[in-house]
Amino acid sequence: MEIRIDDKKKIAFPRFNHYGYPIRYIVEQGLEAQFIQLPPATKETTDLGSRYSPDYACAPFKHTLGSLIEAVEAGADILVETGGLCRLDYYGELQKEIIRELGYKCEFINLAEYMGGKKKEWLKLAKHVNPKLNPAKLATGVYEGVRMAEYIDEIEALYFKNAGFEAEKGSYKKVYRQFLLKMQIAENKNEIKDAYQTAKQEMNELKQIIPENPVRIGVVGEYFTVMDEHSNQFLQEKLVDLGASVYRFMNVTNCHFRAKETALRPKIREYVQYNMGPTTTWTVNSALDYAKRGFDGIIHVKSFGCTPEMDAIPVLQNISKDYHIPVLYLSYDMQDSDTGLDTRLEAFYDMLERKKKVIR
Amino acid sequence: MKKKAYLGIDIGSISTKGVIINDRNDFLAECYLWTEGNPTKATKEVLHSLQEQFDGQEYEIVSSGTTGSARKLVGSMIGAQVVKNEITAHAVGTTTLHPEVRTILEIGGQDSKIICVENGVAVDYAMNTLCAAGTGAFLSSQAHRLGVEVEEFGEIALKAEKAAPIAARCTVFAESDLVHKLQVGCPKEEIIAGLCKAVAGNYLNNVAKGKKIVPPVVFQGGVSKNAGVVKMFEEELGMPVMVDEKGHLMGAFGIAVLAKESQDEREFSFDVADMEFKTREVTCGKCANHCEIICVYREGKLIDSWGNRCDNGAIRNQ
Repeated sequence: MEIRIDDKKKIAFPRFNHYGYPIRYIVEQGLEAQFIQLPPATKETTDLGSRYSPDYACAPFKHTLGSLIEAVEAGADILVETGGLCRLDYYGELQKEIIRELGYKCEFINLAEYMGGKKKEWLKLAKHVNPKLNPAKLATGVYEGVRMAEYIDEIEALYFKNAGFEAEKGSYKKVYRQFLLKMQIAENKNEIKDAYQTAKQEMNELKQIIPENPVRIGVVGEYFTVMDEHSNQFLQEKLVDLGASVYRFMNVTNCHFRAKETALRPKIREYVQYNMGPTTTWTVNSALDYAKRGFDGIIHVKSFGCTPEMDAIPVLQNISKDYHIPVLYLSYDMQDSDTGLDTRLEAFYDMLERKKKVIR
Repeated sequence: MKKKAYLGIDIGSISTKGVIINDRNDFLAECYLWTEGNPTKATKEVLHSLQEQFDGQEYEIVSSGTTGSARKLVGSMIGAQVVKNEITAHAVGTTTLHPEVRTILEIGGQDSKIICVENGVAVDYAMNTLCAAGTGAFLSSQAHRLGVEVEEFGEIALKAEKAAPIAARCTVFAESDLVHKLQVGCPKEEIIAGLCKAVAGNYLNNVAKGKKIVPPVVFQGGVSKNAGVVKMFEEELGMPVMVDEKGHLMGAFGIAVLAKESQDEREFSFDVADMEFKTREVTCGKCANHCEIICVYREGKLIDSWGNRCDNGAIRNQ
């Protein structure tokens, strides 16, 4: 039997919107390991996740567990789950147990154990994954991967802001998909930058027809559900199809690299005096910002039973009253029917549009 | 030349409503019957009934609209120009008939909603989320338990001197509360009054939470026909609550108004009421998502399909 000690380890992360692409870049270019790129999530993913999850765990737990199980089936050697500031910190531990009990023999790295730890520990972890690790290459890989995430966030924001007004149906989507495809296979920083610049330029050149009463909607809410398209049943895509311009402040760039919680809190001190939880400050801050900028409506997204975001609701109700801006509250569990969501979104959009026609 | 008329059909989970209006928004014909789980059949019956009341010599239908949970199916069936959700339809219908209204309360068979109105246009709304507590379905199941017809509920409730306290938050809790009250010998009318109070309280604590209720208030939906619930709302809110005698037709009326506004005019024929419609569910096998695609056939010919999440599952007309 041939023993290949040279084989690269295969690493998998749970799916999380398009952030799998920068993670792949860091794993392949920085860590020099192999990354398992999962296809888009389907109903089967959610079914798998809910089958093996405790019923009262929140929807993100079920979505990520489904992804992880699919990743092991696809041949992953190492599964990685992250930690966080809410129950999420405990999820890695629980998922590790569930996967072990299901009989899968793969390694499980729970990043929650390393959060707040020293750099030395992280490097030790990286060396464990790839014993031939080149630390300088890892640093470059991480840096460039972070840039990629920032570019993706920027292009995504541009897409949702403008695609509702496109003159030719599907023209924005085409550019956006091309860009994402390039991010999926990029191997160096030039490829990333070129693709970003092309996409940005092409999007800016596309023709738009701005309607008489353009509707601007801000989307706020819980970290995972608001960002992950599959979890929120393509909420932003649906709004764009209705013809709205959609904004979402909450993304990885704004949450981790740019806006610090302590920097945001003074902006909302009329409503909030202390840190209310993992992403509540971002939720309240962006909702207040949208209200002040004269948006037509706000949509608040959370997974069912998410306590920190539940706490944000009374604050949003106050903002809604003070600034006279309607807020639609959506709570997600593992439902597969879109009908209820479609009805609510259509009604919300119609209301905002008719209101504009009459009042202004 | 014949005068213009507009058709609106509202197909809900429990009942199906249809109206025909003229361009001054007067009712020319109206119909209300049970859906009985068969929206196609109910729509045909509504159309037959409307056709009988309708003066085909003087008027012609130039535009039609559908709303309610089966709006899409019936919309493609009758070839409606406007297919819109029931929230928009109710808001438009009510503000057309009562331009001065500020708050619309609505409790239907399975859902409940609140619509806030300013200057004759809806500015905010909320709808019940995951459960059907405090809707018509809850009242009718409890009526069954008490051996009373749900239509008599209002009258009985008004006779009660006081309302028995019943937990309102959750249907399951309410039910065990109710059984307990029955077993300790509470009079039936007090329990029924308590149920009406529970419905009103549940609505104000859940759906209407955080919304400012400003008079004039209009109360609609099937439950608005229950005088007991109306009285409880008036007590809780401390303001008069108006119930329109045409309140149950408001969705159909609203969608007819929207059809009129659309100015998209096309000939409409009552013949569709005699055609054969079939729907078939197809499971798409192009990826692991297994979307359920619904295909609608008229006289054996495919006229519409929906339910696919991506283009791979699009069914093309041959």
